[in-house]
Amino acid sequence: MSATLGRRTFGPMAHGRCFRTVRLSSTATGSFHRRTPLPPSEETLTLLQTYENLSPQPVPLRTVISFGEQLSPDSVVASAHFTLTEIPKRLAQRVRSLDCLPFIVGTNPFIARIHELYQRSFSALATYPAPTNIEENRAFTRRLESLVDAHSDDIPILAKGFRESARYITPAATSAFLDEIIRSRIAVRLIAEQHIAVSHALETPQEGGSVTRELGIVNKKTSPKELINMCARFVTELSDATLGTSPRLVLEGDLDATFPYVPVHLEYILTEVLKNSYRATVEHHHDDPGPLPPVVVTIASSLLPPSPQRPAYMSIRIRDQGGGVSPANMKNIFSYAFTTADSKGALSPTGDDGLDGEITGKGLQTGLGSIAGLGYGLPLARLYASYFGGGSGLELVPLYRFGTDVFIKLRVLDMKGGEEVMI
Amino acid sequence: MASAVRSAQARTVRNVVVGPKVGLNNSQRHYSAGSSSGLHFYRNRQLELWASKKPTPLSLRQLVFYGRSMTPERLINSANYVRTELPTRIAHRIRDMQALPYVVVRQEMVGKVYELYWDAFERIRSYAPITNLDENDQFCEFIQGLLNQHSTAIPNLALGLSLTSAYLPPDALDSFFRRMLVSRISRRVICEHHIALSDTLAGRHPDGTKGHVGVIYNEIGIKDTIERCVELLKQRPRDMADDEELKSMGARKGAEENWPTFKIDGHLDTKVSYIKEHLEYIIFEIFKNAARFSMLRRAHGDVPPVIRTTIVSGDEDILIRVSDQGGGVTPEINSTADLFSFSHIRNSTRLAEDRLSALRDASLLERGFTGTVAEQLAQEARSQQEAAKKEEAEPFVRRIGLGLPLSNIFATYFGGSLDLISLEGWGLDVYIRLPRLGTNLEGIEV
Repeated sequence: MSATLGRRTFGPMAHGRCFRTVRLSSTATGSFHRRTPLPPSEETLTLLQTYENLSPQPVPLRTVISFGEQLSPDSVVASAHFTLTEIPKRLAQRVRSLDCLPFIVGTNPFIARIHELYQRSFSALATYPAPTNIEENRAFTRRLESLVDAHSDDIPILAKGFRESARYITPAATSAFLDEIIRSRIAVRLIAEQHIAVSHALETPQEGGSVTRELGIVNKKTSPKELINMCARFVTELSDATLGTSPRLVLEGDLDATFPYVPVHLEYILTEVLKNSYRATVEHHHDDPGPLPPVVVTIASSLLPPSPQRPAYMSIRIRDQGGGVSPANMKNIFSYAFTTADSKGALSPTGDDGLDGEITGKGLQTGLGSIAGLGYGLPLARLYASYFGGGSGLELVPLYRFGTDVFIKLRVLDMKGGEEVMI
Repeated sequence: MASAVRSAQARTVRNVVVGPKVGLNNSQRHYSAGSSSGLHFYRNRQLELWASKKPTPLSLRQLVFYGRSMTPERLINSANYVRTELPTRIAHRIRDMQALPYVVVRQEMVGKVYELYWDAFERIRSYAPITNLDENDQFCEFIQGLLNQHSTAIPNLALGLSLTSAYLPPDALDSFFRRMLVSRISRRVICEHHIALSDTLAGRHPDGTKGHVGVIYNEIGIKDTIERCVELLKQRPRDMADDEELKSMGARKGAEENWPTFKIDGHLDTKVSYIKEHLEYIIFEIFKNAARFSMLRRAHGDVPPVIRTTIVSGDEDILIRVSDQGGGVTPEINSTADLFSFSHIRNSTRLAEDRLSALRDASLLERGFTGTVAEQLAQEARSQQEAAKKEEAEPFVRRIGLGLPLSNIFATYFGGSLDLISLEGWGLDVYIRLPRLGTNLEGIEV
């Protein structure tokens, strides 16, 4: 009996079948447990290599914006070509960097999901035939929009994956990886959004046929006051919903200032910092009677005009009385996935939650978002703030036991001062 | 009798007993200012001996602890500590200067300081050990004399370095000057502390023993100190140059009407133990700058400028944040830390004409410069009187630009910090942090 079994189980036929079965059903959760994921197709591999070898240099922001300047079918088609060259290059680099993560990290289902997503997006764009007219561009733009959409949760998903993999990769390596992928993401979105905006603008003619101030990703008259008020309204709602109350906002400084910038970036930065300030203020004064001390936001625009050595800046200071950051925590606040939110208000730390839907989990409960917890807010805000270089950035000064000052210094994107802005 | 003469000689030694017998005749052996560098070269051995010793830095706590239960014996120990510590620290600084480029030390002002240091070194290194209270009294007089003699060192050095900054890379210049300033302050601290302790034991101290040990005052109320400094600032003679600037800007109001409103919030009862003169100096200088820039910036407005101060009592330190609306630092300055620099490469104001001439005048003053508020006010009062006598409309106040660098040193001396963050187009935020535990050692030789 055992001899017969032996032949059946370990005979060559059985072995061959195992191998064949697995090869055919690569994504099946079938009977055999594979420990290694499959590589991408031959075609994709070749394409990846081609694009990788193309010059991976940053491009001037000026170039990206230039396609929107003299709107015409030709310029829109040119913009599509530009997009189809620049984005796959960057996606190829991201695939490579994911390839280079430690194997065990790469097998984490969340990291693997993103890996696959990037591979597919790369493949889709690298093989997409360049549009030659407006019709084709319309289809291309829709494709681009859906791709942007597909990638919208990249960061939270990666966050989850890296938190679960914390045992297998150093914080420094995690930070380096995330910094790169986020920077690249910002660039890809800038290029993609610019093309989408330009395509839409051509399709929906403006009054007088001229380009408005809002064309494309750069709004020439971005108003800090408007954005601050908008973000404050959102954060107030969030705070009221999750914490029961919220401090008021006091706005001072150069209220009427406007400057060329990418509004969504500023929105993101402001939202993250205000979330921190509001949460800290509410929690720190939890037991105090009386009104909460306000969060004071100051807008300041450079006095001097820009020079070849130095660009102009728009600065925003956000000052709260939320108790500040302890010296022990200071070294961690800009590292990814460090959070002082407790498990009640946010996701619990390392790897204990279930796999499903928890990513923006607690936030979804309020329907609006989470006021805290991923621990990515500050490092991301800082990355966005310093993205356009030239001395821009975000600085946090703690007054432990009292409050915090956050200084945001943004580069005015008028291309007049300092070195060329590259993305 | 003979022994008294000998000991007197020992205390007033000006020529070196030790020296290589290389055929130098007696006259060349005598120390003289302006002796050629060749002689100095061969007499470096004593210096090297002392420079090879490590200085013994103290912490605030040690300074206080030592002074609390003073007895004659402890006082004499303190005297001998000072007696050996001073030449060690001075020797280190002389060696530092010897390492500077030749051309820098040859510069008149730097050279003066070099000679001054050698003189002090010679005099202190062979001072006989102190064995009783009388000798301690004489020792106190001696070190007070040394301190007074050195009070011209800072402006001389500042001027000399500014003028020769082309020969030194900014980092080297700044770290050298910083070491010199820190060492000088450290020597003042241990000397003044010892003198104060001696006075206290002898019942001579004007304030008695209440509230302080030597130069360290316990429980200094921060809010009170700020309010006092602000009052003093308000009454100061104005900087005429500022008045001129205001007029040229077409300001409707003069500086007086533009005096800012000061608001203080936070933990108002915060107290700290610190060297009182240092704390006062920092606050005085920072508020001086804040007030000045506020007035200049808001000269056109109807709303008086506001300077907001927040006091925070942290676990391990106290923090004073001073926020003004003076427009911030001029964009030519790359980083606010450059304001502490004496290299004109980092901070071009160092070579501005008015700055240099003010330094020159300061370096010629007999009373010199000791870096205290009291001295500054006294000096200004004197200039005011002199100008009044001559019936001149001389500027009463002249900026020498040492306020920030010195404040930085006073703040970091026991491990605190001074940070300036400019909100370009709006104002400046200054963060003064002072440690409260008192266990950090003096930051010398850094």
